[in-house]
Amino acid sequence: MGVTPEPNVAGTSARGPWQLAYRRLRRNRIALAALFVFVGIVLFALAAPLWAEHVAHTGPNATHTTAKVVVGDEKREVVDPEGKPVGPLWFGAGGEFFLGADGRLGRDEMVRLMYGGRTSLLIGLSSALITTTLAVVLGLVAGYRRGWTDALIARGLDVVWAFPVLLLGIALGTALAVGGLKIGPVQISGGSILIPILIIGFVSVPYMARPIRGEVIALREKEFVEAAVAQGSGTLRVMFGELLPNLWSTIIVFFTLNIANNMLLEAGLSYLGAGVRPPDSSWGSMVSSGVESIYTAPLLTILPGGMILLTVLSLNVFGDGLRDALDPKSKIRLEARTGIAEPAGTAV
Amino acid sequence: MKKHRGCRVIAVLGIAAITSFGLVACGSGEGSEGKEGGTLRAAYAVFPESMDPQLAYTAEGWNSIYNTYIPLLTYAHAEDEAGSEVIPGLAKSLPEITNGGKTYTLELRQGLKYSDGRPVKASDFKYSVERMFRLNSGGSAFYTDIVGAEDFQRTRKGGISGIETDDRSGKITINLVKPRGPFTNELAMPFVALVPPGSPDKDATTDPPPATGPYAISSVKPGQSWSYERNPEWLRNNAELMPDLPSGHVDRIEVSVIRNQSTEVNEVEQGRIDVMLDPVPPDRLAEVKQRFEGTQFRTEPSVSTYFFWMNTTQPPFDDVEVRKAVNHAVDPEALSRISGGTMAPTQQILPPGMPGYEKFVLYPHDMAKAEAMIAAAAPSDREVTVWTDNVSPNLEAGEYYEDLLSQLGFETTLKTLGDNYFTTISNLSTPELDTGFGNWSEDYPHPNDFFEPLLDGDSIAPTFNTNLAQIDEPSLNRKIAELATQQLDPELESQYASLDREFMELAPMAPYGTRTLSLFVSDAIDFDSVIWNPTFSADFTSIRFK
Repeated sequence: MGVTPEPNVAGTSARGPWQLAYRRLRRNRIALAALFVFVGIVLFALAAPLWAEHVAHTGPNATHTTAKVVVGDEKREVVDPEGKPVGPLWFGAGGEFFLGADGRLGRDEMVRLMYGGRTSLLIGLSSALITTTLAVVLGLVAGYRRGWTDALIARGLDVVWAFPVLLLGIALGTALAVGGLKIGPVQISGGSILIPILIIGFVSVPYMARPIRGEVIALREKEFVEAAVAQGSGTLRVMFGELLPNLWSTIIVFFTLNIANNMLLEAGLSYLGAGVRPPDSSWGSMVSSGVESIYTAPLLTILPGGMILLTVLSLNVFGDGLRDALDPKSKIRLEARTGIAEPAGTAV
Repeated sequence: MKKHRGCRVIAVLGIAAITSFGLVACGSGEGSEGKEGGTLRAAYAVFPESMDPQLAYTAEGWNSIYNTYIPLLTYAHAEDEAGSEVIPGLAKSLPEITNGGKTYTLELRQGLKYSDGRPVKASDFKYSVERMFRLNSGGSAFYTDIVGAEDFQRTRKGGISGIETDDRSGKITINLVKPRGPFTNELAMPFVALVPPGSPDKDATTDPPPATGPYAISSVKPGQSWSYERNPEWLRNNAELMPDLPSGHVDRIEVSVIRNQSTEVNEVEQGRIDVMLDPVPPDRLAEVKQRFEGTQFRTEPSVSTYFFWMNTTQPPFDDVEVRKAVNHAVDPEALSRISGGTMAPTQQILPPGMPGYEKFVLYPHDMAKAEAMIAAAAPSDREVTVWTDNVSPNLEAGEYYEDLLSQLGFETTLKTLGDNYFTTISNLSTPELDTGFGNWSEDYPHPNDFFEPLLDGDSIAPTFNTNLAQIDEPSLNRKIAELATQQLDPELESQYASLDREFMELAPMAPYGTRTLSLFVSDAIDFDSVIWNPTFSADFTSIRFK
């Protein structure tokens, strides 16, 4: 697993829990490699406008059905009369159609892949932020207040949980596709990227709120909470001043894993036509449109599918590493998985 | 068409005797041996917008009820031109037309029964027509020339006085306010198929009325599937009374909705589905053609126009110069490629194969000219919503069109819908109905079928609106009405050709092609027996197992 015993055990007692976690994370080379891959993917997506403007000379949604591209001395049709798109040209046309055209519309596959990555990552990150915020607030309130507040929130979460998450996402995505969403003065049009972000952020809440609630229930019985209450701290102060700091490690780990899960959910929704709306691309929607031509141009499915795989895998591996580094119980997991026990005195 | 192709394959063998045998076999479709009975499994990519005879108005809808709900007149179960011939259905014979073309008299066959055993009565025709108006059907526009129909459409009270029926003799008399050339064809449309009194005044897709044809709908799972069983009253009564209508070969038909057309192809290849009712998607066409042409696959012509409609009632498309610019911008050659070569380019309303078609091109593709025209028109409102359905290649056509409008300087939003596409864009209360994809296939072989529903101001309706561009040009409305009173002849065809040009000068839509469809069946099906009707596509009664 790449984890080695700490050379200087004696020195660790003076370090804070975050520093210790950082040291443990640094020792986990697989997790660091996963982080490196994820950062690379993010940079790839962020570079989309640069590639589009300076190399491909086209936007992600610009069609080139009857255009021709010059490869060496030869002029090739981007889409032939029977609708077959040009394959990868690499740098044969100066980087234009590097990965070929995306189908019968003749859009640049590389540009769409990069922009699609921006969309998928944006949805994954934004929806994970929404999920985390809602889940933390609901988990804290339900776990600390208990009684009817807990019952109300817990049953509400159960209702959302009772629906298969993909079906709920499809139902909401389809219902909001035409009319959009109107909450008071705020109106979001049906084609907006905010729709899948909100849907995914909402349907994922129970999966995070329930464990946080459980942890809060355990923490509220601890002495430091009783002490805070005895000193006259109010409910909000106890929840956000005392309990929340003790939840950070859990929240960070969940947040990381939630990004990966939400990206997968986005891919599923877009694949089924209830996520990102055409002509915008996400990796999920690109897999969906690529499947149509999987027999004639398999790269159109394999490339976005591979990007989803890499991103989700890197986030999951990194998330695991982060949990091992942050969670006091990680020692047990590390022992179980690698047979390498952490040295005494390193527990947070 | 398909018969010629099959014969060509045999001719290549150079064996005269086999060739001549092949000609006979191909020509009749009845010569080859096939098995009776069994369960036919078919697939569609979308669920019909309605399977209610009074409401259904898409290719999927009409195909689903062709052999279930029979009108007084119907279409021959044949291919090509022969399949466009109107023949008696529930009526004994074609109508007797008197009173200068204003009175149609028919006689219902005696002894007919619905699948639930109730007798079919002449008055059911009146009930069915009135039900169609009560349901605000998209087909209503074809029947407003019946005396009293317009009043009934408005008030929904008092019945339609122009329809007189006698249950005892079976006589049905229809009086029109003025002669109507295509009315015989219109009596063969499913909108006026007979349903028994008491059928609810709501879309009966999930609770189908009893059938008069050889098959009755036995179960419906909206959005997923539906099935047919043999109509028990068909063999007992109706088959003998309607000898021109086939009884069908299979005992049961199950139609599933498979959203992905490529998956449909796989299912047919692997024999899990027997008939693919959608065209083979462009990406699979070459492969399927190479492996199965002549044995399990053939292309089929369609009399259809694919177009982008523009809402002429609001900016920016209320300006004819903007609409003309869009016509110049749309490139039919690009859309042919987007359709995988299955779209023959055309830039006019009437498609090839329709009487009155005379080819012309008013707006040759010229992007620079289009941009200059938009600059000159300087539309104040540049925010445009583009609508399309999510079935290939219509989705890609919509994406292409949206990109094109962006290039012309519009701020575009693309909205894609599934099964509910037509229902949504034909409902005028839907917000932001600016422009989008549309197509029209012939209901009957008469050019009025393209002008009246698509372009007549009187066809604009709050729901099930077929005049998507909402164009209402009084002088052309009058011309449509005037031409519709006459019987089709070469002179009238020439006038329809002029009308085609006059409408395109107003550019309410940007037509771009006529689609070639296809039939793809599994290895288990007797391929040569399958009839492709030009109006109803694959005819279930013709399909049988080897």
